[in-house]
Amino acid sequence: MNGLQGIIFAYERRGNLQELGSIRSSASIPFGGRFRAVDFALSNLVNAGANDVGIILHGHFQSLLDHLGTGKDWDLSRKRGGLRLLPPFNYKGEWGAMPYRGHIEALAAVRTYLEDIRQDHVVMMDGDLVANLPLSDVYENHLKSGADITVVCANDSFMTEDGTYFQVGEGGRISEVFISPHTPRGLRGLGTYIVSKKLLLELVDDCASKDQLSWRGDVLQARKSELKLQSYIWKGYAAQIRSVQEYYDRSMQLLDPAIRADLFCAQRPVRAKNADLSSTYVGTGGKCVNSLFGDGCSIEGVVENSILFPGVTVEAGAVVRNCVIFKDSVVRRDAQLSYIIADKDVEILQGRTLMGHATYPIVLAKGSKI
Amino acid sequence: MKKECIAMLLAGGQGSRLYVLTGDMAKPAVPFGGKYRIIDFPLSNCTNSGIDTVGVLTQYRPLELNSYIGSGQPWDLDGSSGGVHILPPYQGSKGGTWYKGTANAIYQNIGFIDMYDPEYVVILSGDHIYKMDYSDMLARHKAAGAACTISVMEVPWSEAPRFGIMSVDANDMITEFAEKPKEPKSNLASMGIYVFSWKALRQYLIDDENTESSENDFGKNIIPTMLAAGESMAAYRFAGYWKDVGTLESLWDANMDMLAPESGLDLRDRSWPIYARSISAPPAFLGGNSTVTHSAVNRGSILQGVVENSVLSPNVTVGEGAAVRYSVLFPGVQIAPGAVVEYAILGEGCKIGGGCHVGGTPENTPEGWGLTVLAPGCELPEGRDAKAGIMLNRNGEEVSK
Repeated sequence: MNGLQGIIFAYERRGNLQELGSIRSSASIPFGGRFRAVDFALSNLVNAGANDVGIILHGHFQSLLDHLGTGKDWDLSRKRGGLRLLPPFNYKGEWGAMPYRGHIEALAAVRTYLEDIRQDHVVMMDGDLVANLPLSDVYENHLKSGADITVVCANDSFMTEDGTYFQVGEGGRISEVFISPHTPRGLRGLGTYIVSKKLLLELVDDCASKDQLSWRGDVLQARKSELKLQSYIWKGYAAQIRSVQEYYDRSMQLLDPAIRADLFCAQRPVRAKNADLSSTYVGTGGKCVNSLFGDGCSIEGVVENSILFPGVTVEAGAVVRNCVIFKDSVVRRDAQLSYIIADKDVEILQGRTLMGHATYPIVLAKGSKI
Repeated sequence: MKKECIAMLLAGGQGSRLYVLTGDMAKPAVPFGGKYRIIDFPLSNCTNSGIDTVGVLTQYRPLELNSYIGSGQPWDLDGSSGGVHILPPYQGSKGGTWYKGTANAIYQNIGFIDMYDPEYVVILSGDHIYKMDYSDMLARHKAAGAACTISVMEVPWSEAPRFGIMSVDANDMITEFAEKPKEPKSNLASMGIYVFSWKALRQYLIDDENTESSENDFGKNIIPTMLAAGESMAAYRFAGYWKDVGTLESLWDANMDMLAPESGLDLRDRSWPIYARSISAPPAFLGGNSTVTHSAVNRGSILQGVVENSVLSPNVTVGEGAAVRYSVLFPGVQIAPGAVVEYAILGEGCKIGGGCHVGGTPENTPEGWGLTVLAPGCELPEGRDAKAGIMLNRNGEEVSK
């Protein structure tokens, strides 16, 4: 048995995702033409040999439950262990009415699950991280460095909503932690940590007894001197999907072959739920340029610089440019779209024209008819 | 556990007329329509028809097929009662034999069928492309009170001599059966899909096995014997798309049909999904200089060149300036920049080097035109041509059809 256990925090909702985020947690947001954000964390874990993964849920998690099912798409439907969904339960008699105020509160709510973890080490990940992290390498480094907690950072200080940034000192040790800074500096944290089960339980119990709720504030920031926090710097693609603009910009980056090669590297495949649709069909009038297509699309019109999820129809004469179109949406004849993010089952009627801008993509809510 | 109806799927045939494409795998495992294998059609039909127990009879090169079917999960055939079972020939205390014929294959698995004690057994082939509701056929079987019901379809009179032909009475009950008749009396062709009342079939299988001269074949032996014995035999008329993809030409034709739903083969109809085991790969990417028209594309593919009237499986790459026309590309085929592929079927993992010209159009081939077929794993070095109508094996050597 591999020594790694996975915990994914999938309870967060991000206001800046507008309609994309109001109906689902950010972990279940569709991304990259056939995935949900959480597929990346799950695949990262499975590809590193983690067979037991707990997912902490809260709030609008129906969409995520539907997506995860028994976990078989990630080989996590197991007799022992496998995928374990952790919705809120009667923690301090609150019945999960209030959203978790921090990762420590979320962890304390599933303390019995933590106790039963069979492995020595735990990888904690955010459900809205889109990256293909080599977690076995991170784990190896964790063991070698003798760190108490390994903190995975991106090699940039890119601005993300409610981001965490780390100042790294000599030998890669974390010297300062910035939480939601106004101006980001240091390295962008990817919400991915490795810690031993033993230390994690101690920290959760200690914090809970002091009414401390925040992993970042009450553990990382407050104990950066007493604990050895070691950085692991990931130089590849790493997106945190927390606002519409970030969603749009990060999606469009996938049209770059180098970024796709990094995110979808063959050694660590990204697994996702299957839609059981036919091949994508491009018709005689179809013109598709620099775009990604999920299964089962039917294209008779023009598609440029766009990402289409499975089952999207673009009728003859329609033009779709610089858009992201979610599953089963339909663009009728002669409609024109640019810089649009259309959620599932959207229908753009004949001849309609909708235009956003690269700096202000327009979101069309699920099921809307334009 | 008792089941009302189970299905037995004959998937042991070599498919010798697919030549190099079935060199390493049984015909039902051959890719079709981009993301499918031929066997996905009967398996999905079973699931969609409410049949949850399927025995798959394998014999020739079963490795690919076995690993493809696996637990049966993609077709929802992994239930705790029933599900899909691979049934290879086996040794008993008195020895054992290969499956001698289609009827013998079922005979050897009487024990398997008895385990489910079914009233009815559906016998299917693993080499047909079609969508059919077997429960409708079963209803016809019950209503007619038949011992055997055979699915038939009208074929053009000129083609009738290629099929098993049924003559029927006013109630569509079968009166006569002729295997590949020179002068057909009817144009109702058997589709090789049968529903039997198990009790009746079981006895006929045992009797057939004891008949020395029998070839142990459904079409040649069981059906004529039952008819001669005066059993009640019903025809079930089927009007949808159906194609035997046993030859290279028919396999290519059926792939082309899949591009045009007018042909009757509409794979995008969500009321009757065809399931398949699929791979983990990112969405298909159609590049900035690509021109893809009237074609099917699948995940994991990166297309930078011209693709016209073609069916592309997952993980296909077509380089810049390359052109693929009227062709069927199996999974993982790589076409280097500048290569041209026309009227060809390229097996899994073929690599076509830069500047190669594979196949040709009927117009530009004065004589001896045919499809060009490359065996799985065949690699053509830069600049090498493969003329229209030829077939190359894995090592790139020409072999005869």
